[in-house]
Amino acid sequence: MSARDSILSAIRTGLGGSRNDPAAIAAEAADLLAAPETIRPPLVAATLVDAFCEKSEALGATVDRIGSIDEVPASVGRYLEGQGLSAEIAVESAALFRDLDWGDLRPRLAVAPDAPAAVGLARHGIAESGSLVIHSGKETRILLAFLPLHHIVVLRAASIVSHLEDYAALLVGHETSPRNAVLITGPSGTTDIEGSYVRGAHGPGFVHVILVFDA
Amino acid sequence: MNATTRTGFKARSDAALANPTLKTAIDRTTGTAERKRAAALAGFAEYEAARSRGSAIKDHVIANLDHYLEMFERNATASGAKVHWAATESEACDIVIRLCREAGAKRVTRSKSMLGEEIGLPDALGSAGIERVETDLAEHIIQLAGEHPSHIIWPAMHRTREQVAELFNADHKPPPADDEAASMVQSARHVLRGKFLSADVGISGANFLIADTGATCTVTNEGNAELTTTPPRVHIVTAGIEKLVPSTSHAMALLRLLVRSATGGELTQYTTFHCGPKRPGDADGPEKMHIVLVDNGRSEMIANEFRDMLRCIRCGACMNHCVVYRQIGGHAYGGTYPGPMGAVLTPVLDGLAQSRDLPFACTMNGRCAEVCPVEIPLPTLLRAWRGRSWRAGLEGPRMRAGLAAWAGLARRPGLYRMASGIGVRALRLLGRSGWIGSLPFAGGWTRHRDLPGPTGGTFMERYTARGARRPEDRR
Repeated sequence: MSARDSILSAIRTGLGGSRNDPAAIAAEAADLLAAPETIRPPLVAATLVDAFCEKSEALGATVDRIGSIDEVPASVGRYLEGQGLSAEIAVESAALFRDLDWGDLRPRLAVAPDAPAAVGLARHGIAESGSLVIHSGKETRILLAFLPLHHIVVLRAASIVSHLEDYAALLVGHETSPRNAVLITGPSGTTDIEGSYVRGAHGPGFVHVILVFDA
Repeated sequence: MNATTRTGFKARSDAALANPTLKTAIDRTTGTAERKRAAALAGFAEYEAARSRGSAIKDHVIANLDHYLEMFERNATASGAKVHWAATESEACDIVIRLCREAGAKRVTRSKSMLGEEIGLPDALGSAGIERVETDLAEHIIQLAGEHPSHIIWPAMHRTREQVAELFNADHKPPPADDEAASMVQSARHVLRGKFLSADVGISGANFLIADTGATCTVTNEGNAELTTTPPRVHIVTAGIEKLVPSTSHAMALLRLLVRSATGGELTQYTTFHCGPKRPGDADGPEKMHIVLVDNGRSEMIANEFRDMLRCIRCGACMNHCVVYRQIGGHAYGGTYPGPMGAVLTPVLDGLAQSRDLPFACTMNGRCAEVCPVEIPLPTLLRAWRGRSWRAGLEGPRMRAGLAAWAGLARRPGLYRMASGIGVRALRLLGRSGWIGSLPFAGGWTRHRDLPGPTGGTFMERYTARGARRPEDRR
């Protein structure tokens, strides 16, 4: 008997031999998601955007609010200048970014192992936790979110969802799942030495959100 | 499985109690963890409801585990991953080593996984001549020290900052600027960066296996899981079969409990769902993804008194709040998993004969069950092991004789009262200063601490003095 068969058969024996009807199992699983508001915290502010910003900032991220995607290069420039970083910057290969006028900045597609800063695009924000969601894909390199010291993330205000389940509902079935769906909640950190918090472990030590209100 | 299991729990805990820096190190981390968890739950009014729901989700999965395993296998396969099954720890290691060899792997990066420790994967990789790079900061520390984890969330919590500095100074080139935590983290970031990008295979565990997508979920605060699983050609996941959840939404309900209970955060910095290998056209990612589903004693627990333990989501709250763990630390337990949950699991994994002391290393104060986010009745499960140990004849003659004497007394109330009256007077004599510093024939009770002396008479003396009637005088 293969390991697979022996494990499944041990489980079935342990469960008493009777198998439940898949439809009944699915109904029970759905019931376990009922009334989500009773098992999760309410948002910390009245609007999705305010709740998202409050949570992000509490986690140590910074947020810049701009009116249109065209203002992204100027916002990035302000951040780099404020942090004393060079104008050479890794930028995700999103079509949205390619068409922008980057002015004095020198965007590159490659991200070096010790890149000081990179600009990426988030698919969603989650108001409950202040998380940014990125999906791997043709245009999105996962490493762009992990290699740089400063991760600058462009997020459209309209793409912020309320709670974790609201985002999870979008990931049903492997057809809709990217290889990696990453929820980024504040800068990388560790408490592995004596429990004391140090920012910037392996991932970015700084997360800067550029929130775009372009309706 | 740790080789240390065989050297004896009592000897190890004696050594731990005699080690002054260990107590300091444990207190620093568990104290912070306890405070942060309390603060996180104070801000989560829905916690009790979330906790019942979380337990119900895990119970539902275990009651339909065959169904969910098959569903997961189907969806993971459809996403392009290959699913393997391992009944035992050696089968699991054999599969991983074979996959590494097929990939021509010289260097393997590993993101912290307690299941990996449980099956002995670090040693198996070493024996196979494959370079293993631990990427979690704490795992990096204990790899340099040649040790096993002493906690499931903070594997290196037994080491002070100064001890870590010593390890890094010897290994890191260049060494850290000073022995502040920030400089040492910076140094590890620098040293490990190159290894992440040059690994042939990346190995991770999974906090959840999502049945309806076929994805595996990892949570880290450092970002090392993603740096482990994205650059190499092959990603291998090792996960226990109890990690299943029906959907991503169910995982979210459990994540809220896991993170608050573990570190006091609301969500880890990185929560990642890994679904299959690199897709056509993807900008990065591994060409192959393998998932090894490991049983290693879990399927047997479904039918016995330890089934509730399959709900465990490995948050570590039980050990952070355990008075015994906080005295002796994790290594004294001798198994992969320490603390209350470890004392339940180690006899399953290593056999009761090897680990019968663990269920007895418990005061039954119930703190672990109180803080468990999935309502596991840990003291009840520990008591079940004590019963099994008794029935299997694993208790020594002294214990059996002592319990027989006690049982004889307990069945004769008059004699019991007389004996406890003599006992309490003797203890009062020994504890005239208020504390008992040593006990004749029972030195183990006072070797590492003083006991408070009794302040009054026996329970029944004080009970009757308060005007209550004796039970046999009623009616």
